[in-house]
Amino acid sequence: MDFWTVMVARFPYFMSLLLKGAVMTVTVAVGALALALVLGLLIALFRMSPSRIVSGFAYVYTEFLRGTPALAQLFVIYFGLPDIGIELKPVEAAIIGLGINGSAYLSEVYRAGIQAIHRGQVEAALSLGMTPLGSMRDIVLPQAIRIMLPPITNFSITLLKDTALVSVVAVPEIMFYARNLVTETFQSMHVYLLAAAIYLAMTIPMSRLVAYLERTRRAWS
Amino acid sequence: MPRLLDIYRDNIRDWFPEMLSACLGTLKLSLFAFIVASALGLIVALLRISSRRSPRWLAISFIEVMRGTPALVILYIVYFVPPQVGLSWLTFSSFTAAVAGLALQGGAILAEVFRSGIEALHAGQREAALTLGMTPAKTMRYILLPQAMRVVLPPVGNYAIGLLKDTSVCALIAAPELMLRAKDLASSSFEPMAVFCLAALFYFFMSYPLSLAVRYMEYRLGRHG
Repeated sequence: MDFWTVMVARFPYFMSLLLKGAVMTVTVAVGALALALVLGLLIALFRMSPSRIVSGFAYVYTEFLRGTPALAQLFVIYFGLPDIGIELKPVEAAIIGLGINGSAYLSEVYRAGIQAIHRGQVEAALSLGMTPLGSMRDIVLPQAIRIMLPPITNFSITLLKDTALVSVVAVPEIMFYARNLVTETFQSMHVYLLAAAIYLAMTIPMSRLVAYLERTRRAWS
Repeated sequence: MPRLLDIYRDNIRDWFPEMLSACLGTLKLSLFAFIVASALGLIVALLRISSRRSPRWLAISFIEVMRGTPALVILYIVYFVPPQVGLSWLTFSSFTAAVAGLALQGGAILAEVFRSGIEALHAGQREAALTLGMTPAKTMRYILLPQAMRVVLPPVGNYAIGLLKDTSVCALIAAPELMLRAKDLASSSFEPMAVFCLAALFYFFMSYPLSLAVRYMEYRLGRHG
Protein backbone atom coordinates (compact mmCIF):
# COMPACT_ATOMS: atom_id res chain seq x y z
CA MET A 1 0.00 0.00 0.00
CA ASP A 2 1.28 3.42 -0.73
CA PHE A 3 2.13 5.97 1.93
CA TRP A 4 -0.88 8.26 1.64
CA THR A 5 -3.52 5.52 1.51
CA VAL A 6 -2.29 4.17 4.82
CA MET A 7 -1.92 7.65 6.24
CA VAL A 8 -5.49 8.65 5.40
CA ALA A 9 -6.95 5.35 6.59
CA ARG A 10 -5.08 5.23 9.88
CA PHE A 11 -4.81 8.95 10.65
CA PRO A 12 -7.75 9.22 13.11
CA TYR A 13 -6.62 6.16 15.07
CA PHE A 14 -2.96 7.21 15.25
CA MET A 15 -3.81 10.77 16.16
CA SER A 16 -6.33 9.83 18.87
CA LEU A 17 -3.60 8.02 20.79
CA LEU A 18 -0.72 10.35 19.98
CA LEU A 19 -2.71 13.40 21.07
CA LYS A 20 -3.59 11.64 24.30
CA GLY A 21 0.16 11.28 24.73
CA ALA A 22 0.65 14.95 23.87
CA VAL A 23 -1.52 15.95 26.83
CA MET A 24 0.79 13.94 29.09
CA THR A 25 3.86 15.45 27.38
CA VAL A 26 2.59 18.94 28.16
CA THR A 27 1.68 17.94 31.72
CA VAL A 28 5.18 16.61 32.39
CA ALA A 29 6.80 19.63 30.71
CA VAL A 30 4.72 22.15 32.67
CA GLY A 31 5.27 20.31 35.95
CA ALA A 32 9.02 20.08 35.37
CA LEU A 33 9.16 23.74 34.32
CA ALA A 34 7.39 24.86 37.51
CA LEU A 35 9.76 22.80 39.66
CA ALA A 36 12.81 24.01 37.73
CA LEU A 37 11.76 27.68 38.00
CA VAL A 38 11.39 27.51 41.79
CA LEU A 39 14.35 25.28 42.53
CA GLY A 40 16.52 27.13 40.03
CA LEU A 41 15.93 30.48 41.75
CA LEU A 42 16.81 28.94 45.10
CA ILE A 43 20.05 27.50 43.71
CA ALA A 44 20.92 30.81 42.03
CA LEU A 45 20.52 32.65 45.34
CA PHE A 46 22.63 29.98 47.09
CA ARG A 47 25.28 30.38 44.41
CA MET A 48 25.52 34.12 45.06
CA SER A 49 25.54 33.69 48.81
CA PRO A 50 28.53 35.16 50.69
CA SER A 51 28.91 31.87 52.60
CA ARG A 52 31.44 29.67 50.82
CA ILE A 53 29.76 26.46 51.97
CA VAL A 54 26.39 27.49 50.56
CA SER A 55 27.77 28.78 47.27
CA GLY A 56 30.09 25.76 47.01
CA PHE A 57 27.12 23.44 47.38
CA ALA A 58 25.26 25.31 44.65
CA TYR A 59 28.33 25.14 42.40
CA VAL A 60 28.70 21.38 42.77
CA TYR A 61 24.95 20.93 42.30
CA THR A 62 24.82 22.87 39.03
CA GLU A 63 28.07 21.48 37.63
CA PHE A 64 27.19 17.89 38.35
CA LEU A 65 23.64 18.09 37.05
CA ARG A 66 24.67 19.99 33.93
CA GLY A 67 27.57 17.61 33.34
CA THR A 68 25.51 14.41 33.31
CA PRO A 69 22.78 13.33 30.85
CA ALA A 70 19.15 13.80 31.85
CA LEU A 71 18.61 10.13 30.98
CA ALA A 72 21.15 9.02 33.60
CA GLN A 73 19.48 11.23 36.21
CA LEU A 74 16.08 9.84 35.27
CA PHE A 75 17.36 6.27 35.64
CA VAL A 76 18.83 7.03 39.06
CA ILE A 77 15.55 8.52 40.23
CA TYR A 78 13.22 5.92 38.77
CA PHE A 79 15.25 2.70 38.98
CA GLY A 80 17.75 3.68 41.69
CA LEU A 81 15.71 5.37 44.41
CA PRO A 82 13.59 2.25 45.18
CA ASP A 83 16.90 0.71 46.42
CA ILE A 84 16.85 3.18 49.29
CA GLY A 85 13.11 2.86 49.84
CA ILE A 86 11.76 5.75 47.76
CA GLU A 87 9.26 4.49 45.20
CA LEU A 88 7.98 7.08 42.75
CA LYS A 89 5.27 6.74 40.16
CA PRO A 90 6.54 7.19 36.57
CA VAL A 91 5.00 10.66 36.17
CA GLU A 92 6.40 11.82 39.52
CA ALA A 93 9.85 10.50 38.64
CA ALA A 94 9.67 12.22 35.25
CA ILE A 95 8.66 15.61 36.66
CA ILE A 96 11.19 15.45 39.48
CA GLY A 97 13.98 14.21 37.20
CA LEU A 98 13.48 16.78 34.45
CA GLY A 99 12.72 19.49 37.04
CA ILE A 100 15.95 18.92 38.95
CA ASN A 101 17.90 18.71 35.71
CA GLY A 102 16.33 21.99 34.57
CA SER A 103 16.90 23.76 37.89
CA ALA A 104 20.66 23.51 37.36
CA TYR A 105 20.34 25.09 33.96
CA LEU A 106 17.89 27.79 35.04
CA SER A 107 19.98 28.74 38.06
CA GLU A 108 22.69 29.85 35.62
CA VAL A 109 20.09 31.82 33.63
CA TYR A 110 18.86 33.52 36.81
CA ARG A 111 22.39 34.28 37.90
CA ALA A 112 23.32 35.82 34.56
CA GLY A 113 20.11 37.88 34.61
CA ILE A 114 20.61 39.10 38.17
CA GLN A 115 24.27 39.94 37.61
CA ALA A 116 23.38 41.92 34.49
CA ILE A 117 21.51 44.43 36.70
CA HIS A 118 23.80 47.28 37.63
CA ARG A 119 25.15 47.16 41.20
CA GLY A 120 23.96 50.69 41.76
CA GLN A 121 20.39 49.44 41.75
CA VAL A 122 20.99 47.24 44.81
CA GLU A 123 23.09 49.88 46.52
CA ALA A 124 20.40 52.49 46.01
CA ALA A 125 17.71 50.14 47.32
CA LEU A 126 19.78 49.23 50.40
CA SER A 127 20.63 52.85 51.19
CA LEU A 128 16.91 53.66 50.98
CA GLY A 129 16.51 51.22 53.86
CA MET A 130 15.18 48.19 51.95
CA THR A 131 16.18 44.77 53.24
CA PRO A 132 18.46 42.63 51.00
CA LEU A 133 15.52 40.28 50.41
CA GLY A 134 13.15 43.15 49.59
CA SER A 135 15.59 44.75 47.16
CA MET A 136 16.08 41.40 45.42
CA ARG A 137 12.34 40.84 45.16
CA ASP A 138 11.15 44.36 44.31
CA ILE A 139 14.11 45.91 42.49
CA VAL A 140 16.43 43.34 40.94
CA LEU A 141 14.20 40.44 39.91
CA PRO A 142 11.53 42.50 38.08
CA GLN A 143 14.26 44.03 35.91
CA ALA A 144 16.15 40.78 35.47
CA ILE A 145 13.05 38.95 34.26
CA ARG A 146 13.11 40.99 31.08
CA ILE A 147 16.62 39.72 30.34
CA MET A 148 15.82 36.16 31.39
CA LEU A 149 12.63 35.68 29.39
CA PRO A 150 14.23 34.58 26.07
CA PRO A 151 16.60 32.00 27.64
CA ILE A 152 13.79 30.68 29.85
CA THR A 153 11.57 30.20 26.79
CA ASN A 154 14.48 28.52 25.00
CA PHE A 155 14.85 26.22 27.97
CA SER A 156 11.13 25.39 27.79
CA ILE A 157 11.60 24.25 24.18
CA THR A 158 14.50 21.99 25.18
CA LEU A 159 12.48 20.70 28.11
CA LEU A 160 9.51 19.89 25.89
CA LYS A 161 11.80 17.87 23.61
CA ASP A 162 13.48 16.18 26.57
CA THR A 163 10.13 14.83 27.76
CA ALA A 164 10.51 12.28 24.94
CA LEU A 165 13.05 10.58 27.23
CA VAL A 166 10.53 9.86 29.97
CA SER A 167 8.81 7.31 27.75
CA VAL A 168 11.55 4.93 28.91
CA VAL A 169 10.28 5.09 32.48
CA ALA A 170 6.80 4.21 31.15
CA VAL A 171 5.18 7.64 31.26
CA PRO A 172 2.34 7.44 28.71
CA GLU A 173 3.40 10.42 26.58
CA ILE A 174 3.80 10.84 22.81
CA MET A 175 6.78 8.53 22.29
CA PHE A 176 5.32 5.89 24.58
CA TYR A 177 2.14 5.69 22.50
CA ALA A 178 4.19 5.92 19.30
CA ARG A 179 6.28 2.89 20.26
CA ASN A 180 3.17 0.92 21.18
CA LEU A 181 1.49 1.86 17.90
CA VAL A 182 4.53 0.72 15.93
CA THR A 183 4.57 -2.62 17.72
CA GLU A 184 0.87 -2.99 17.01
CA THR A 185 0.66 -1.84 13.37
CA PHE A 186 4.27 -1.95 12.03
CA GLN A 187 3.69 1.45 10.42
CA SER A 188 6.83 2.99 11.88
CA MET A 189 7.19 5.71 9.27
CA HIS A 190 3.65 7.04 9.63
CA VAL A 191 3.64 6.90 13.40
CA TYR A 192 7.04 8.51 13.98
CA LEU A 193 6.46 11.19 11.36
CA LEU A 194 3.16 12.08 13.03
CA ALA A 195 4.89 12.14 16.40
CA ALA A 196 7.54 14.47 14.97
CA ALA A 197 4.79 16.68 13.53
CA ILE A 198 3.11 16.98 16.93
CA TYR A 199 6.39 18.01 18.56
CA LEU A 200 7.03 20.52 15.79
CA ALA A 201 3.53 21.98 16.17
CA MET A 202 4.50 22.80 19.75
CA THR A 203 8.18 23.80 19.38
CA ILE A 204 8.07 25.95 16.26
CA PRO A 205 5.59 28.51 17.69
CA MET A 206 7.71 28.63 20.83
CA SER A 207 10.90 29.32 18.88
CA ARG A 208 9.05 32.08 16.97
CA LEU A 209 8.19 33.53 20.38
CA VAL A 210 11.86 33.48 21.41
CA ALA A 211 12.82 35.29 18.21
CA TYR A 212 10.14 37.89 18.92
CA LEU A 213 11.23 38.36 22.54
CA GLU A 214 14.83 38.83 21.47
CA ARG A 215 13.81 41.41 18.88
CA THR A 216 11.78 43.44 21.35
CA ARG A 217 14.55 43.28 23.91
CA ARG A 218 17.02 44.66 21.41
CA ALA A 219 14.54 47.44 20.64
CA TRP A 220 14.53 48.47 24.31
CA SER A 221 18.23 48.62 24.87
CA MET B 1 24.88 5.24 52.04
CA PRO B 2 27.25 2.74 53.72
CA ARG B 3 25.43 0.01 51.78
CA LEU B 4 26.21 1.84 48.54
CA LEU B 5 29.91 1.90 49.45
CA ASP B 6 29.81 -1.83 50.18
CA ILE B 7 28.32 -2.45 46.74
CA TYR B 8 31.08 -0.45 45.11
CA ARG B 9 33.78 -2.25 47.10
CA ASP B 10 32.42 -5.61 45.98
CA ASN B 11 31.79 -4.77 42.32
CA ILE B 12 34.06 -1.96 41.24
CA ARG B 13 36.66 -4.38 39.85
CA ASP B 14 34.08 -5.74 37.40
CA TRP B 15 32.23 -2.53 36.64
CA PHE B 16 35.07 -0.09 36.23
CA PRO B 17 36.79 -1.70 33.20
CA GLU B 18 33.40 -2.45 31.59
CA MET B 19 32.28 1.15 31.88
CA LEU B 20 35.64 2.52 30.86
CA SER B 21 35.50 0.57 27.60
CA ALA B 22 31.89 1.73 27.10
CA CYS B 23 33.12 5.32 27.54
CA LEU B 24 35.29 4.75 24.49
CA GLY B 25 32.09 3.92 22.59
CA THR B 26 30.52 7.15 23.84
CA LEU B 27 33.58 9.18 22.83
CA LYS B 28 33.78 7.51 19.43
CA LEU B 29 30.08 8.16 18.82
CA SER B 30 30.43 11.80 19.93
CA LEU B 31 33.49 12.36 17.75
CA PHE B 32 31.97 10.87 14.59
CA ALA B 33 28.68 12.72 15.12
CA PHE B 34 30.60 15.95 15.79
CA ILE B 35 32.60 15.70 12.57
CA VAL B 36 29.57 14.94 10.40
CA ALA B 37 27.49 17.61 12.17
CA SER B 38 30.19 20.24 11.61
CA ALA B 39 30.41 19.51 7.89
CA LEU B 40 26.63 19.42 7.54
CA GLY B 41 26.26 22.55 9.66
CA LEU B 42 28.70 24.49 7.48
CA ILE B 43 26.86 23.50 4.30
CA VAL B 44 23.46 24.39 5.76
CA ALA B 45 24.81 27.71 7.11
CA LEU B 46 26.11 28.66 3.65
CA LEU B 47 22.74 27.74 2.11
CA ARG B 48 21.01 29.73 4.86
CA ILE B 49 22.87 32.96 4.04
CA SER B 50 22.51 32.47 0.29
CA SER B 51 20.99 35.43 -1.54
CA ARG B 52 18.80 33.05 -3.55
CA ARG B 53 15.45 32.16 -2.12
CA SER B 54 15.16 28.39 -2.67
CA PRO B 55 18.41 27.30 -0.94
CA ARG B 56 17.63 29.69 1.88
CA TRP B 57 14.19 28.19 2.45
CA LEU B 58 15.55 24.67 2.18
CA ALA B 59 18.05 25.52 4.93
CA ILE B 60 15.46 27.23 7.13
CA SER B 61 13.07 24.26 6.91
CA PHE B 62 15.86 21.81 7.68
CA ILE B 63 16.95 23.85 10.70
CA GLU B 64 13.44 24.32 12.08
CA VAL B 65 12.45 20.67 11.68
CA MET B 66 15.66 19.21 13.08
CA ARG B 67 15.87 21.60 16.01
CA GLY B 68 12.21 21.29 16.87
CA THR B 69 12.09 17.49 17.01
CA PRO B 70 13.43 15.48 19.96
CA ALA B 71 16.67 13.60 19.23
CA LEU B 72 14.89 10.39 20.20
CA VAL B 73 12.31 10.80 17.40
CA ILE B 74 15.03 11.47 14.82
CA LEU B 75 16.97 8.43 16.00
CA TYR B 76 13.88 6.22 15.81
CA ILE B 77 13.09 7.42 12.29
CA VAL B 78 16.66 6.89 11.07
CA TYR B 79 17.03 3.50 12.72
CA PHE B 80 13.61 1.83 12.55
CA VAL B 81 11.88 3.24 9.46
CA PRO B 82 14.18 2.29 6.52
CA PRO B 83 14.23 -1.48 7.22
CA GLN B 84 10.47 -1.52 7.72
CA VAL B 85 9.68 0.22 4.43
CA GLY B 86 12.21 -1.89 2.54
CA LEU B 87 14.93 0.68 1.91
CA SER B 88 17.79 -1.75 2.39
CA TRP B 89 20.45 0.73 1.24
CA LEU B 90 19.39 3.09 4.03
CA THR B 91 19.38 0.40 6.69
CA PHE B 92 22.09 1.21 9.19
CA SER B 93 23.74 -0.51 12.11
CA SER B 94 22.74 1.04 15.43
CA PHE B 95 26.08 2.86 15.63
CA THR B 96 25.80 4.38 12.15
CA ALA B 97 22.16 5.30 12.76
CA ALA B 98 23.17 6.97 16.01
CA VAL B 99 25.88 8.99 14.24
CA ALA B 100 23.46 9.95 11.47
CA GLY B 101 20.61 10.89 13.81
CA LEU B 102 22.77 12.99 16.13
CA ALA B 103 24.53 14.61 13.17
CA LEU B 104 21.22 15.61 11.54
CA GLN B 105 20.16 17.45 14.66
CA GLY B 106 23.68 18.76 15.29
CA GLY B 107 23.93 20.04 11.73
CA ALA B 108 20.88 22.23 12.33
CA ILE B 109 22.21 23.53 15.65
CA LEU B 110 25.69 24.25 14.26
CA ALA B 111 24.26 25.86 11.11
CA GLU B 112 22.69 28.56 13.29
CA VAL B 113 25.92 28.92 15.28
CA PHE B 114 28.03 29.31 12.12
CA ARG B 115 25.55 31.73 10.59
CA SER B 116 25.55 33.98 13.64
CA GLY B 117 29.37 33.86 13.62
CA ILE B 118 29.55 34.91 9.97
CA GLU B 119 26.89 37.58 10.36
CA ALA B 120 28.61 39.00 13.44
CA LEU B 121 31.54 40.10 11.26
CA HIS B 122 31.55 43.65 10.04
CA ALA B 123 30.08 43.96 6.52
CA GLY B 124 33.17 45.94 5.52
CA GLN B 125 35.27 42.76 5.69
CA ARG B 126 33.29 41.18 2.90
CA GLU B 127 33.02 44.39 0.88
CA ALA B 128 36.76 45.02 1.10
CA ALA B 129 37.59 41.49 -0.04
CA LEU B 130 35.20 41.72 -2.99
CA THR B 131 36.56 45.14 -3.92
CA LEU B 132 40.07 43.70 -3.98
CA GLY B 133 38.82 41.32 -6.64
CA MET B 134 38.37 38.15 -4.57
CA THR B 135 35.56 35.88 -5.67
CA PRO B 136 32.65 35.40 -3.20
CA ALA B 137 33.87 31.83 -2.56
CA LYS B 138 37.40 33.00 -1.80
CA THR B 139 36.08 35.80 0.39
CA MET B 140 34.19 33.23 2.41
CA ARG B 141 37.11 30.81 2.59
CA TYR B 142 40.00 33.20 3.37
CA ILE B 143 38.36 36.24 4.96
CA LEU B 144 35.05 35.45 6.62
CA LEU B 145 35.31 31.84 7.87
CA PRO B 146 38.71 32.17 9.60
CA GLN B 147 37.46 35.18 11.56
CA ALA B 148 34.08 33.61 12.30
CA MET B 149 35.76 30.45 13.64
CA ARG B 150 37.20 32.39 16.56
CA VAL B 151 33.82 33.77 17.58
CA VAL B 152 31.95 30.49 17.25
CA LEU B 153 34.44 28.42 19.25
CA PRO B 154 32.60 28.73 22.61
CA PRO B 155 29.10 27.92 21.25
CA VAL B 156 30.57 25.04 19.26
CA GLY B 157 32.18 23.80 22.47
CA ASN B 158 28.84 24.08 24.26
CA TYR B 159 27.27 22.05 21.48
CA ALA B 160 29.97 19.39 21.89
CA ILE B 161 29.14 19.11 25.60
CA GLY B 162 25.45 18.75 24.81
CA LEU B 163 26.27 16.16 22.17
CA LEU B 164 28.36 14.10 24.59
CA LYS B 165 25.40 13.94 26.94
CA ASP B 166 22.90 13.32 24.14
CA THR B 167 24.76 10.19 23.04
CA SER B 168 23.15 8.59 26.11
CA VAL B 169 19.84 8.66 24.23
CA CYS B 170 21.37 6.34 21.62
CA ALA B 171 21.18 3.56 24.21
CA LEU B 172 17.50 3.40 23.26
CA ILE B 173 18.40 2.19 19.78
CA ALA B 174 21.01 -0.10 21.34
CA ALA B 175 24.05 1.78 20.07
CA PRO B 176 27.20 0.61 21.87
CA GLU B 177 27.88 3.32 24.45
CA LEU B 178 28.01 4.00 28.18
CA MET B 179 24.31 4.20 29.02
CA LEU B 180 23.55 0.92 27.27
CA ARG B 181 26.33 -0.82 29.20
CA ALA B 182 25.03 0.74 32.41
CA LYS B 183 21.53 -0.56 31.70
CA ASP B 184 22.94 -4.06 31.11
CA LEU B 185 25.03 -3.95 34.27
CA ALA B 186 22.10 -2.63 36.29
CA SER B 187 19.83 -5.45 35.22
CA SER B 188 22.44 -8.17 35.65
CA SER B 189 23.59 -6.97 39.09
CA PHE B 190 20.20 -5.79 40.42
CA GLU B 191 21.97 -2.67 41.73
CA PRO B 192 20.54 0.14 39.57
CA MET B 193 21.31 2.91 42.07
CA ALA B 194 24.99 2.09 42.28
CA VAL B 195 25.42 1.44 38.56
CA PHE B 196 23.61 4.52 37.28
CA CYS B 197 25.35 6.80 39.78
CA LEU B 198 28.67 5.44 38.59
CA ALA B 199 27.65 5.98 34.96
CA ALA B 200 26.68 9.58 35.77
CA LEU B 201 30.11 10.05 37.34
CA PHE B 202 31.79 8.79 34.16
CA TYR B 203 29.76 11.25 32.07
CA PHE B 204 30.70 14.03 34.44
CA PHE B 205 34.40 13.31 34.13
CA MET B 206 34.10 13.43 30.34
CA SER B 207 32.03 16.62 30.12
CA TYR B 208 33.47 18.72 32.96
CA PRO B 209 36.92 19.25 31.39
CA LEU B 210 35.16 20.28 28.18
CA SER B 211 33.00 22.79 30.02
CA LEU B 212 36.06 24.25 31.77
CA ALA B 213 37.72 24.60 28.36
CA VAL B 214 34.67 26.40 26.96
CA ARG B 215 34.60 28.78 29.91
CA TYR B 216 38.30 29.52 29.37
CA MET B 217 37.63 30.29 25.69
CA GLU B 218 34.73 32.57 26.62
CA TYR B 219 36.96 34.38 29.08
CA ARG B 220 39.73 34.85 26.52
CA LEU B 221 37.29 36.07 23.87
CA GLY B 222 35.71 38.43 26.38
CA ARG B 223 39.11 39.98 27.09
CA HIS B 224 40.47 40.29 23.57
CA GLY B 225 37.19 40.03 21.66
